[in-house]
Amino acid sequence: MLTLGRGFCIITGASKGFGRSLAHEVSHLLEPGSVLLLVARSGSLLEELKEEIYSFTDKQQLAVHCVTADLSTREGVTETVRLAKQEAVNELDHVLLINNAGSLGNISSFGSFTDIEKVNSYLTFNVSSALALTAGLLQVFPCRADLRWSVVNISSIFALKALPSWVLYCTAKAARMMMFSVLAEEEPNIKVLSYSPGPMDTEMQEDIQRQSGIAYSLFPCHVSAAKLMKLILDNDFPSGKHLDFFEV
Amino acid sequence: MSIAAGTDLGRALCIITGASRGFGQAAARHLSQRVSPGSAFVLAARSGNDLRSVRTELQQEDAGLLVECVEADLAHAEAQARVIAAAKRCFSADMDHVILVNNAASLGDVSRYTRDFTNMAEVDSYLSLNVSSCLCLTASTLEAFPQRPGLRRTVVNVSSLCALQPFPSWVLYCTGKAARDMMFRVLAEEEPDVRVLNYSPGPMDTDIYVSAKSRTADPNVRRSFTAMWDQGQVLTCDESCTKLMKLLLDDSYVSGAHVDVYDV
Repeated sequence: MLTLGRGFCIITGASKGFGRSLAHEVSHLLEPGSVLLLVARSGSLLEELKEEIYSFTDKQQLAVHCVTADLSTREGVTETVRLAKQEAVNELDHVLLINNAGSLGNISSFGSFTDIEKVNSYLTFNVSSALALTAGLLQVFPCRADLRWSVVNISSIFALKALPSWVLYCTAKAARMMMFSVLAEEEPNIKVLSYSPGPMDTEMQEDIQRQSGIAYSLFPCHVSAAKLMKLILDNDFPSGKHLDFFEV
Repeated sequence: MSIAAGTDLGRALCIITGASRGFGQAAARHLSQRVSPGSAFVLAARSGNDLRSVRTELQQEDAGLLVECVEADLAHAEAQARVIAAAKRCFSADMDHVILVNNAASLGDVSRYTRDFTNMAEVDSYLSLNVSSCLCLTASTLEAFPQRPGLRRTVVNVSSLCALQPFPSWVLYCTGKAARDMMFRVLAEEEPDVRVLNYSPGPMDTDIYVSAKSRTADPNVRRSFTAMWDQGQVLTCDESCTKLMKLLLDDSYVSGAHVDVYDV
């Protein structure tokens, strides 16, 4: 496949980093009449992104909507779902949801995690939110035989590999990988991909360096975003699979 | 590894969550038979009455056994604090082993599919009990009883095949179990002196099993649970605990490994 078709695409954490790159990549691959919903907490960054996209793309071809929402809250999730329903158009070929919003959490010794409210808060944003949003959007666009549904979980090598001092991040990524695997088992009409994007030049990596002192060798976001798009276009993997930037 | 590996679990402080029934109750009983005199038990669960019955049961075998019951919903910070306070009260300087069994768990609503979990509060509540409370209690226990020469520390996570394999209509349970296994793998990597066991106890005749059998939405999963039951393939909690005790006594598992009852 060369394009994503006439699609409704939702990208969370779209204002910066990998999400922002994905928004650009996706906008080049959507056919006329498509809708792109960009979700993040920063309305102003999203508006800038929208302007950037419109400098390459005709507004007639692609409707871009910015959703300023805190996905760590129920209100943020329901508002996103409400706006998706509001902006839904007819004759869609494809719904593509990219669950990219996520946070690093504290890189800290296991024994430091004694505050249940802090752990709950982390899991709400990184696990519950992705589940509730995915479920909400599946209710807006129910599966039908003539509608392609793709769900991407932005994962990490640390969904598979345990790393000392990274208990929050590893736990949430492992949780998400399983969560999306269950979705894949249940829904033969949804193509589910857990994609580990590799270390990229993002604020999250700056945070990693600041907290852990470790500087990884980084790739530009657009390189990994392009790989993800190719995977989705080629559509040559079993649903529920976990794929890594370095493997493909 | 302790000098006494293989014979008994030492003079131990045992903290067991979900100790009022099912696997937790059996674990309390089995552990009490394998610890040395001068050991103590902290049993936590929501049902104070049921915990007191378990205490009676343990003390019938060993009248001198110190058992504290903590009626607690572990998803609450104050409940966690009460468990740790009880543990500190029960601990004595001549103990050589702290054993934490993270057993408390819930099945979640298995009558619905992933696409139906639109209620974030429900998911939050589930993760709070099944993931967060387990992390925080383990962290607090390790902080309360830090590493020192002569003190073994063992942490058991009651895991499941669901930590490894996705089951349709079981999104919450699978997600929680996968999260827990990873959590304890990180602990094992970070703290080589802590013995960490992700123990998958197999299908057992517990309230969770009965719910699973009657409420599971996915017809194939429900059928397989019914078939196991009808064909007598469901273990008693005692049978599974016997295997867990063997693992703990042999103390030769790789820390952080996922070990299934059928591997033992």
